[in-house]
Amino acid sequence: MLLLFPLVVSALLFSIGVYGVLARRNAVLVLMGVELMLNAVNLNLVAFDTYLRDVVHSGQVLTLFVIAVAAAELGLGLAIVLMIFRSHQHIDIDRLRELSDSDAADEAIARDHQIWTGVAGGER
Amino acid sequence: MNPAWVIALPAVGALVVLGLGTRAATGWVGAAFGLVTWLAGLWVALPYVGSAESERHVLGEMATGVAPIEVALTVDGLAALLVLLATTVAFLVLLYSVSYLRDEPRRATYTALVLLFTTAMATVVLADDLFVLLVGWEVMGACSYFLIGHYWERPDARAGAVKAFLLTRLGDIGFLFGIFVLGTATGSWSIGAANESAASGAMSTSQATVAMLLVLCGVVGKSAQFPLHTWLPDAMPGPTPISALIHAATMVAAGVYLVARLDDVMAASPVARSVLAVIAAVTMLGAALFAVAQDDLKRVLAWSTVSQLAYMFAALAVGGYAAGVYHLLSHGAFKALLFLAAGSVAHAIGTTAMTEMGGLRRALPVTFWTMTVGFAALAGLPPVVGFFSKDAVLGVVSEEAFQHASWQGWLLLVSGLLTVVVTAAYSIRAWLLVFCGEARGARPQHEAPWSMRAPLVLLALASLAGGVLVLTPDLVDPLGRTEGELVHPVLAAVTTVVLLVTLLLTYAEWWRVDGLDPAERFGPTRRLLHRELGFDRAYDLGIALPTWALARTVVATDRDVVEPYVRGAGTGARWLGLGLRWLQRGNVQVYVTAVVAGGLLLGLGAGWLVP
Amino acid sequence: MSAVEVLFALLGLVAVGSALLVVTTARLVHAALWLVVTLGALAGCYLLLAAEFVAWVQVLIYVGAVVVLLLFALMLTRAPTAAEAGTVTANRPLAAGLAVLVAAALVSSLVAGFRDVRIDLDDSVVGSAETTGEALFTSWVLPFEVLSVLLLAALVGAIVLSRSTRGGGR
Repeated sequence: MLLLFPLVVSALLFSIGVYGVLARRNAVLVLMGVELMLNAVNLNLVAFDTYLRDVVHSGQVLTLFVIAVAAAELGLGLAIVLMIFRSHQHIDIDRLRELSDSDAADEAIARDHQIWTGVAGGER
Repeated sequence: MNPAWVIALPAVGALVVLGLGTRAATGWVGAAFGLVTWLAGLWVALPYVGSAESERHVLGEMATGVAPIEVALTVDGLAALLVLLATTVAFLVLLYSVSYLRDEPRRATYTALVLLFTTAMATVVLADDLFVLLVGWEVMGACSYFLIGHYWERPDARAGAVKAFLLTRLGDIGFLFGIFVLGTATGSWSIGAANESAASGAMSTSQATVAMLLVLCGVVGKSAQFPLHTWLPDAMPGPTPISALIHAATMVAAGVYLVARLDDVMAASPVARSVLAVIAAVTMLGAALFAVAQDDLKRVLAWSTVSQLAYMFAALAVGGYAAGVYHLLSHGAFKALLFLAAGSVAHAIGTTAMTEMGGLRRALPVTFWTMTVGFAALAGLPPVVGFFSKDAVLGVVSEEAFQHASWQGWLLLVSGLLTVVVTAAYSIRAWLLVFCGEARGARPQHEAPWSMRAPLVLLALASLAGGVLVLTPDLVDPLGRTEGELVHPVLAAVTTVVLLVTLLLTYAEWWRVDGLDPAERFGPTRRLLHRELGFDRAYDLGIALPTWALARTVVATDRDVVEPYVRGAGTGARWLGLGLRWLQRGNVQVYVTAVVAGGLLLGLGAGWLVP
Repeated sequence: MSAVEVLFALLGLVAVGSALLVVTTARLVHAALWLVVTLGALAGCYLLLAAEFVAWVQVLIYVGAVVVLLLFALMLTRAPTAAEAGTVTANRPLAAGLAVLVAAALVSSLVAGFRDVRIDLDDSVVGSAETTGEALFTSWVLPFEVLSVLLLAALVGAIVLSRSTRGGGR
């Protein structure tokens, strides 16, 4: 079998995963994009493992590890998504802008500063 | 007794007085220190008056790159006379100020500055080292700045103080370099060494010329001679006793003293003497003419000071050491008298404008008689001291003119005789306007208290009796620097006749105009003289305005050329910040997009570079 | 073209096609279900590549556990106000362009690098549970144990994060 077959499938899956991560609004769907990318990598690993006839099966073992890590990552990611949902009532990626650099954010920082130190923040 | 006491005592007094603040006793404590200083001055100076001896006290030595600076004091005949003059006038001024500034809130600083002034003048007089002299010279300049600006609420006082400071400082630059030239020429900073070197011919004529021309810059500034003469009349907003101190015994006298002190170096340089002669000739007549047209009593006196100082320089310029020093002493006495009397008048009626005065004869008898003596001395009426000292000056000038037939002598003689006429005119004009005729403005309330009258009487007595000094020329010239007598009967007769005619003519004119200002006769010329020939305007146009223009150019350059870069840096950073902020919108997806795009670019780049 | 290749190509097409649907469908649950199809097709690919054990793990963990997890998450976070249709952000054109570029770059470099390379499947070592387990518990036992610690930490983390903190830890 041509090695190119699994490799091309893997590359296409990865690109689709990239698109999913970059274009999807729902955080859970973004995580699905991440899963697609991880699976593309897994396919690559398995293909090369078979192609190289690895005695210790490093490709396959690594695939297992990736699956385990992906499960862990997904568990944590979904927990975070749940928290966001609890605090925001939505999980739309493009509406979660609290980290943006804005005047409101600056004022919030100054307010916190005043709360913590009792001193008015720097004049603007 | 160590002459340093004369320097130290008033300095200590200044500190004590400053500590006292505005207590009632401040003035008296200052006067007491003046008295102690005067006694110390007597003690130090009397043994050396008229003596050819001199004594040198070395207090310390400072190493420099070249010759060491010796902190040394010398008392000799000249220094002794000047110490006596300075401490006497300072004491009388301090005594006078007790009442004059009774209600003055800043009298502590005033009294302290007068004492410090005395210290500085004593330093100048006693200094044996040029740098020690310079220290006293500059401290005096600073004190005069503060004292002229004593009423700093008044804009004219502020302007006058700044003007005095700037103009004297301008001259002092030359003086400093003159010291350098003298020091390199003789290998020592000592005044005595400079004189010896010049007298023995070790110093070349060109060195002496350069040195003295530079020193003359400082002298011209300090003694308010042409062309740096404009500061002295503008120094008049200061308290009147200060004017007496500055004009009679200290500040302006220091310039004359320095030239007399460096007489040997001066003698070694004909060029410097000629320059001094021209300056003196121009200044004496010009200042006297300005004095004719003034309306302010103190301003008349200020110009008369400039004119009289030029007499002293005239004598020194033709080698008349004794006449110059004699006139310095005589002028010290009668000019102090005149200013203190003017202060008394101002104290009584609250102004120094002569248009407000008139008929003060009866109300202020003591002031009237003492000031009459002062004016007589200024005009040179016999037998007051001014007559003898002026006669001595004119005598030495005429000898130079007739016997040596030098152009300097003729220039000074003509100028001097004309100045005699003008001086007589402005003296009697001021006298008439102040004391005679009808009262025109304020009425005096009271004669001055005794602490103000006593100095007047003492100085008037000194002015009256000072003429006897002429009999003992050794007193002012113990080393016999000048040959010839101090008395010149023929010349004295001629000047006296000229003087009397002038007085009569002026009096007649005053009578004719019904007690108004006889100077009105000058017509439009008077306005020109009143403006002092526009020297201030010329300095403004020639120096101040270009400087302003330059400053404005610098400001404009800074604003339009330099600042845009500074502002550009700020604006650029701001725009950059706005751009970066626009990227930091908090949209995680955009960030990840950027990361992926960057990774892709890196991958493509790596593939491109590493085939 | 051998039968294995044909089969692989078909499975690959299924995987790619359903993956495309995963990232494009407007319905959230449908996306999760299409993900199941993709992952299943990938498991088939693993089988064809003689990685038997990996294929079953894929089916068990991914198709079984992960997708169930995703479905739960989708159900728990069903926003009452969120529009069902608005599942794509404004970043979409850029994302599509980038994805195409990534695909082009990857495929072109892979094609350039492995044009004629073949995998010899005939006498390949079958990745059965036995061989894979042997490798895992001999050569890879230390990373395996570390991974178990990682999983434990993730477990604790997930519990801490998803627990309701309202009430101050009661």
